[in-house]
Amino acid sequence: MLERLRQNYLAGTLSVVGGLLLWELVSRLIIANPLFLAAPTQIIEAVYALSLTGEMWRHVSISAIEFALGYVIASVIGIAFGFGMANSARFKQALQPWISGLYATPTIALAPLFILWLGIGIWSKVLVVIFLVLFPVTINTEAGLRTTSERLIEMLRSFGATERQIFFKVSLPSALPFILAGLKLGIGRGLIGVVVAELFGSRAGLGRLISQSADSFNMPELFAGVIVLAVAGIAMTAGFGWVEKKLVPWTRD
Amino acid sequence: MARKLEITGLSKWFGDLEAVRGLDVAVERGEFIAVVGPSGCGKTTFLRMVAGLEPATSGTILLDGAPLTGPGGNRGFVFQNDSLLPWRTVLGNALIGPEVAGSLDASARQRTLDLLKLVGLGGFENYHPRQLSGGMRQRVNLARALAIDPDVLLMDEPFASLDAQTREIMQTELLRIWEQGRKTVLFVTHQIDEAVFLADRVLVLARRPGRLQENVKIELPRPRALDLKRKPEFVAYVDRIWRMIEDDVRTAVIEEHV
Repeated sequence: MLERLRQNYLAGTLSVVGGLLLWELVSRLIIANPLFLAAPTQIIEAVYALSLTGEMWRHVSISAIEFALGYVIASVIGIAFGFGMANSARFKQALQPWISGLYATPTIALAPLFILWLGIGIWSKVLVVIFLVLFPVTINTEAGLRTTSERLIEMLRSFGATERQIFFKVSLPSALPFILAGLKLGIGRGLIGVVVAELFGSRAGLGRLISQSADSFNMPELFAGVIVLAVAGIAMTAGFGWVEKKLVPWTRD
Repeated sequence: MARKLEITGLSKWFGDLEAVRGLDVAVERGEFIAVVGPSGCGKTTFLRMVAGLEPATSGTILLDGAPLTGPGGNRGFVFQNDSLLPWRTVLGNALIGPEVAGSLDASARQRTLDLLKLVGLGGFENYHPRQLSGGMRQRVNLARALAIDPDVLLMDEPFASLDAQTREIMQTELLRIWEQGRKTVLFVTHQIDEAVFLADRVLVLARRPGRLQENVKIELPRPRALDLKRKPEFVAYVDRIWRMIEDDVRTAVIEEHV
């Protein structure tokens, strides 16, 4: 167990530690000016200081609420759209052009427009997140339901199964890995959406922290915002990997 | 003896391709029937029509005197590829029939557990399909069909994808299991020796369109063991059937390679 852990993580840990060390040395000794590059230790100090004043929590909680609201709404709508498209050819035909068009468009560029409509509060950011998360979830749900193995459907049919039984016993479980993959894609896109939308205009949030630090040339605080984001992204994706392993173990190997 | 299955004038057209023409087959209760023929003879289509997975263009299928229209729990289908649900355990897969029929209770569960033991999967109830070999998956496939206690067992080349040794073992295993309940079986295969080894009667189909060419009664004693395959009377049966379909097989091979 320990041996395997070491084999799996040794190279990764070494490269991260080495990279941080190099970063520290370069910023302290070569650049030696936190205006251009903050050292990892300075960033940690900034995270700590911001946490003590409660400032960090204020930004993190706002961004988290925006992300969570947008993500949940987009997931529910996306899965519903995916189901609708898989079950009705007409619905799919009606929706497909919008999805193809909007998925390919950098909808994040619409953030200023949403802020104009909904103000600089959380709802403009929620809308951006919805736009970014909705499409991968919809597309994956639809694809997952559509690619259900004909053989498995026929097997169930041979036992006299109804359409409803086929849906719940075969189509849905076999689409689950696809749906989860779509939701996983949505995490990264949603996080980007929150932060970029906040950069365009907000009162609080990690994007706000980053932009106000940039305005005051406070590099350690700017990096503090970025680091917290990166950690959140990694943690959520890893947590999702764990959920996948529990829910759809048959997709491994 | 009462007729278990009575098939009359069964035909199937796929568009303007005539797949099966006017099949008349009568099967006694507890009979083991094998269906052989070259590819394109419609043997799988025939089986799928009996299963209700494919509607017949014309003709009737009577099971215990009642006409069959769609799929149902009185027939158990064993698929060529195992068609197991990868997210379910062996037991979960075997229980799908009772579950669909809404008869999943303690006694169904116990019967299925016994069946899994019978097919040699005792102790593997909680394994997942990906942890099993091809032969074991086909055992689950068989147990799943038996779990609904069907009147007729329909088997569509169930051992075709197994290697030669596993296939021979599965043939003797199938006979051992069959001896326990003597279900009526329709077994489709393209392997003549498999058909002769298993069946009481071999239906030989001709191709384009698929039609009954010959009906060969196999008068070999039961229980049968693998060494039967080396006996001259066994070889004579195989030889006789092979000569019936030889020309057809050649044409099929040539057509399919062009």
